Amino acid sequence: MEILLRLGIALFIILAGIVVYRFVTAVRLALLRMKQNPMVGLGGRAGVPAILYFTTPDCAPCKTFQAPAIESLQVQFGDRLQVIKIDASQRNDLADAWGVLSVPTTFIIDAQGQPRHVNNGVASAAKLRQQLREFVGLDESAEKTIRLENRLTVGQ
Amino acid sequence: MNNQLTQVDHSALRVNQAMIIALLIIGFVINLPVLAAFVSAVMLIGTALRQPGFKIVYAGFLKPRGIVKPDVIADNPQPHVFAQGMGGTVLLIGVIAFALNGALIGWALTWLVVALAALNLFGGFCAGCFVYYWLARLRVPGFVAQPTPGTFPGMRPQGKAS
Repeated sequence: MEILLRLGIALFIILAGIVVYRFVTAVRLALLRMKQNPMVGLGGRAGVPAILYFTTPDCAPCKTFQAPAIESLQVQFGDRLQVIKIDASQRNDLADAWGVLSVPTTFIIDAQGQPRHVNNGVASAAKLRQQLREFVGLDESAEKTIRLENRLTVGQ
Repeated sequence: MNNQLTQVDHSALRVNQAMIIALLIIGFVINLPVLAAFVSAVMLIGTALRQPGFKIVYAGFLKPRGIVKPDVIADNPQPHVFAQGMGGTVLLIGVIAFALNGALIGWALTWLVVALAALNLFGGFCAGCFVYYWLARLRVPGFVAQPTPGTFPGMRPQGKAS
């Protein structure tokens, strides 16, 4: 019985830690949104949702997991999504400005250039797709509809 | 002022932190203060040898099997050694508290070490390194390393090893 109580306390403390971590992340994003134009210096296209991807050349999980996941989304969404890749070892200024602590880190940016979500560590293609849908309104069904509309227009 | 950076394998540091967190939480759940004493001893021995206490788990098991890949960064090793020593000392105080029937204080200090190790592992901020750099700034003898250029004291450097 005591072991269950201790397990419960441990889980509670861990959950409290996660809540604090998420709160700090939310505050970080809010502070980034309060900046005049957080996208300055990134070289992205205006009006297009983006994945801002911080990596380094020697980051193994970036090469094996993160980059393929982002590439698959880029193929899927085409021009409707831009990927801005930043080498954090070369651009310490940007890594600091965006509060990047480790790589890979990915930010989901909406069409207005506002950061909507951040992933510290590897984020799967499915997770990023879901975030693009939730925070940016970019989804597969819309993509399919547009493709269908394009086909119909070409057919006419 | 000493700012000669060397190659520091941050994967070894992360495995060390993960081991500390896992063992201390297991120790708490099964109410085994001796596990906290064991972790404290490993951390302090590692500090004396100037390397991560649980390096053997990384170098002898995880790295050779490719389970964890090296992540070598140009960094100062001294602050990490100091941070481990600080954590080991806090844990040792906790163990002394356990021995004096102060279980509450003992577990509180244990959780403090877990929290700081988790902050380092998941957040990339080394609180012990931050203290080290402040002591260096205050010109305390023995604390000579300076933060990696362009990196906030205690934060994980972004640059790769040169």
